[in-house]
Amino acid sequence: MNSQSVEKKYMPEISQKEIEELRNTIQATSQKIIAENIEKMKKTDPDRPKAMQYFDEMANFVTREKEIRAAKEKGKKVIGYTCLFAPLELVLASGAIPVRVSSGWYDAAKLGDRVVPVEVCPVVRSTIGAKMIGLSPYLEVSDALISVLTCDGMTKLGEILSDYKPVWPMTLPRVKDSEQSTRLWREEIKAVKGQIEALTGNKVGRKQLKSAIELTQKATKAFRRLQELRKGSPVIMGRDAMLVNQTYMWDNIERWTEKTAALCDELEERARQKNWACPPDTPRVMVTGTPMIWPDNWKLPTLVEEGVPEGVLVADELCSSERLLYDPVGVDEWSMNDMLNAISERYLMASTCPCLTSKDGNEDRINWLLNKIKEWNVQGVIYYVVRGCMLYAMEYTRVKKVLDRLGIPIYYLDTEYTREDVGQMKTRVEAFLEMLTARIDL
Amino acid sequence: MITAGLDLGTQSVKAVILKDREVLSRGKAFSGFDPAKTAEQALGEALKAARLSLSDVNHVTATGSGMDLAPNSNSTISMMGADAQAGVYLFPNARTIIDVGAEEARAVKCDEKGIMMDFVVNERCAAGAGAFIEAMARALEMKLEDMGPLSLKAERASSINASCVIFGESDVVTLIHRQESKPEIARAIFDAMADRVSSMVHRLGVNPDVVLLGGVARDVGFVASLKRKLGVDVLIPEYPEYAGALGAALVAAKRVKKV
Repeated sequence: MNSQSVEKKYMPEISQKEIEELRNTIQATSQKIIAENIEKMKKTDPDRPKAMQYFDEMANFVTREKEIRAAKEKGKKVIGYTCLFAPLELVLASGAIPVRVSSGWYDAAKLGDRVVPVEVCPVVRSTIGAKMIGLSPYLEVSDALISVLTCDGMTKLGEILSDYKPVWPMTLPRVKDSEQSTRLWREEIKAVKGQIEALTGNKVGRKQLKSAIELTQKATKAFRRLQELRKGSPVIMGRDAMLVNQTYMWDNIERWTEKTAALCDELEERARQKNWACPPDTPRVMVTGTPMIWPDNWKLPTLVEEGVPEGVLVADELCSSERLLYDPVGVDEWSMNDMLNAISERYLMASTCPCLTSKDGNEDRINWLLNKIKEWNVQGVIYYVVRGCMLYAMEYTRVKKVLDRLGIPIYYLDTEYTREDVGQMKTRVEAFLEMLTARIDL
Repeated sequence: MITAGLDLGTQSVKAVILKDREVLSRGKAFSGFDPAKTAEQALGEALKAARLSLSDVNHVTATGSGMDLAPNSNSTISMMGADAQAGVYLFPNARTIIDVGAEEARAVKCDEKGIMMDFVVNERCAAGAGAFIEAMARALEMKLEDMGPLSLKAERASSINASCVIFGESDVVTLIHRQESKPEIARAIFDAMADRVSSMVHRLGVNPDVVLLGGVARDVGFVASLKRKLGVDVLIPEYPEYAGALGAALVAAKRVKKV
């Protein structure tokens, strides 16, 4: 049967004319937002690190899309993923290009409303909307998608996207610290390896996997160096660091590692010269919660670093930024079995996603937050949740209790994929930052 | 030392003038299309009542949703920060300050110096704020100021949905069709709104003394419902709608000293 004639199971019929109109409008808005965001970042820190230029370019979607399309012409495969549990090393070892496809376009979320109710998480709605009109280059170029069944939204998103391309669901065990979970997840990792090999036609052998692991280990090293540099007086604004982290989701990893290392060299020099990105007494803020995806969903970091009194993001606990690659794959023996087990462990055990639990709830997330607060000298935490994001919303109660006991200010900020609530958010963010300084000021 | 506080709210602008932290006068003007002009009017009225001119004022601090638009202001303070300052000034033992205005409800936890420690704001919906009562009064075809006293006459409690002003209104129509008495419907409206506000305050923690500020504090019906829902006494100052401006004027006094 011709695939054209297969009726879509989820997606509505939409005319080519409407698709093109919507895509052109949203793409134009997107390019404007990208330019505005970068302009605002330059305004906050007029002497922005030179090395940021590269990441600004990686953030425009166009450059990297061209590269990936050219690689595809030469026979490369592209494997998309929605959540961080997708084992990138296996993708890399097969010679394929990994790209994350979760969407940050506000206007696309409105399109998603045609398919799923407005109560559904906007990251999911926006990804559906992006697919409807072919907006996301990375989603478009993907030959297959790894859909790890994390939260409810992501689980069903995979099903919906299967209207367009092969989707490989992976069952994620949700109790981290149990034998059964470890066993199940190892099996899932092996199964997805088979699917990757079948798609690419390349066998993932010991040698290929070893070099893929070494590649991400190097990336982790560069990444850690960048986060370490944010522990002291600010050498880089939070938005800049977040952008660097985020481009890892679609950039060529080897080149990303080099560029990040070059940025770190520059920042180390600036630290030696005490050339700070903002006054060293600027309130130090951390954000945690729902992922913040470029380009539209940059409003909270912008509000924090632009507001009066201005704050600086010194750390975050977001799967769109610092959760991406803090933990390396730890291999003892470089046997195939050992490497696969190490990958399996790295993706499950190191995750602090609230879709997981353990004998003591998501204690790893609590401990990690406390560690960040201490090590990065965080003065206040903004807990960011988009409407429909149940898991982060529900985990707030425990996080708040722990931080209250320690006297660390935390504020729950809820929002939507929309530009219209920036005024209200500004009032709240400013009040929170004022609270951090008021203890000294009033 | 003369200081002034301006509260640029969504429905009106309030001004308070202080002399050495004692209230000299108040002024109020209704917000039109030009918030800056309204603010000038409110401040002008307060200055006139105090027989002062702008040049006598050492420092003006603005607060409220339109604070960035205030003319003649030297600094700004968040609404929550202003609430905390005013609450503790008016009632030294105040530790939980609730402010219910036209479009927004919020609660602030503070220390003995009136420094904000934590805060919550109602979730992007007018159902927990004064605009809800106004819409419901329209649905009941009665004056806003009559609804509170009437609700106190209710013999039993009915209930309506206050997750949304629009749904609330259709619930009220249902009660009218069921021929519930007006006092009971009025009480249901205040109960629903107090439910929203009290669950918000509970998320913050109810630490006595609890103070209620903002224009809605003048509504006896809402106050009775809120006391029932919170299970504690609620203190209300004489001029609750001027609390934001008062808090801003107090902050202005601290800022003068620093300069």
